[in-house]
Amino acid sequence: MARKRYKAEHRPCELNLTAMIDVAFQLLSFFLIAIKPVDVLANLEAFRPSPERTSSSAPSVPMIKIMVLSPDSGISGYVVNDTSMTMSQVENRLRKYADTDPTQTVLIMCSQKSTHKQLIELLDRCAKYKMTNLSVVSLAGN
Amino acid sequence: MRKQEEPYLTGNLTAMIDVVFQLIIFFVCAVSLQNAANDDSITLTLAPDSRAVRTKDPREIRIDVHKDGSLSIARQKMSPELLGVLLKKTVADCGNPDLVPIILRGDESALHEKVQGALDACSQAGIVKIKFAALREKGR
Repeated sequence: MARKRYKAEHRPCELNLTAMIDVAFQLLSFFLIAIKPVDVLANLEAFRPSPERTSSSAPSVPMIKIMVLSPDSGISGYVVNDTSMTMSQVENRLRKYADTDPTQTVLIMCSQKSTHKQLIELLDRCAKYKMTNLSVVSLAGN
Repeated sequence: MRKQEEPYLTGNLTAMIDVVFQLIIFFVCAVSLQNAANDDSITLTLAPDSRAVRTKDPREIRIDVHKDGSLSIARQKMSPELLGVLLKKTVADCGNPDLVPIILRGDESALHEKVQGALDACSQAGIVKIKFAALREKGR
C-alpha cells in the first residue's frame, strides 16, 4: 500500500499593520489641518548707486528716467522723461523701450513720500519686459 | 506524536515608528524655527510678473522695513546708523561687497524716506546690488 505523503504545513505569514495604518492616518489628518500654504516670493534686483558715484562727473549715458511721486502730490504717480503718467501708461512706454533695447538703463527716482508699493510695482513691470539694468535713487523733495 | 506548532512570523514595528516620530518632531521644529526669523507683520507688495525665488542663498541678509519705518534684521530692531556699521563690518569680513547679498523686505505702505535709510546704509557699505522682496503668488 502506497504511503500517503504529507506536505510540510506552511502557515501564512502575518504582519499586523493596523496600528501603523492608524498612525499614518492620524499624521495625514494632522498635516492636512496644520500645514499653511507657503507664499511664492520674488526678488527684484536693482542697483543703488552710492552718493559718491552719483555726484562724480561720470559721462552721461542715455537712460530712461522715471520719477515715482507720492500719490498725494496731485500728479498721476509716475513721471517718465518729464511726462506725467499712470501705471498702465508707464507699462506701455516700457514695452516700447524694451522692444528697441531691453538693456538700456532705467533710472528710478523715488520721492520721499512715495510708497514702497509704487517702487515694487514699477520694478515688477520692468521685470515683465526683461529690463534688467535698473537703478534706484532717492529724490530730496516730496 | 503531535507535530509542534510553528509560531507566526511577526515584525516588531515599534522601533521604526519611534524613529519616524523622532524625525517628524525634528523637522516640525526645524521648519518653525526657520519661519520664526521671518517677520509676518510685513505686507509684501504683489509682483506677479517677476521671477519666483527658487534657491535661497545662506549668506543673504534680510533687512525688514516696517510700516512705521523701523528697520530690523531677524526681528532685531536697529537704527539706520547701526545697520550701516553692521553692513560695513560684514563687508570687511567678506572682503568683497558683491559677496553680501541683501534682500530688502519693505512693507507696501512704508514711505520711501524710511526705505532710504536702509538703502543708504547699504550703499555706504559699498553694497550697490539690492534685491527687493515681493510676493509673486499668495499661498492658497
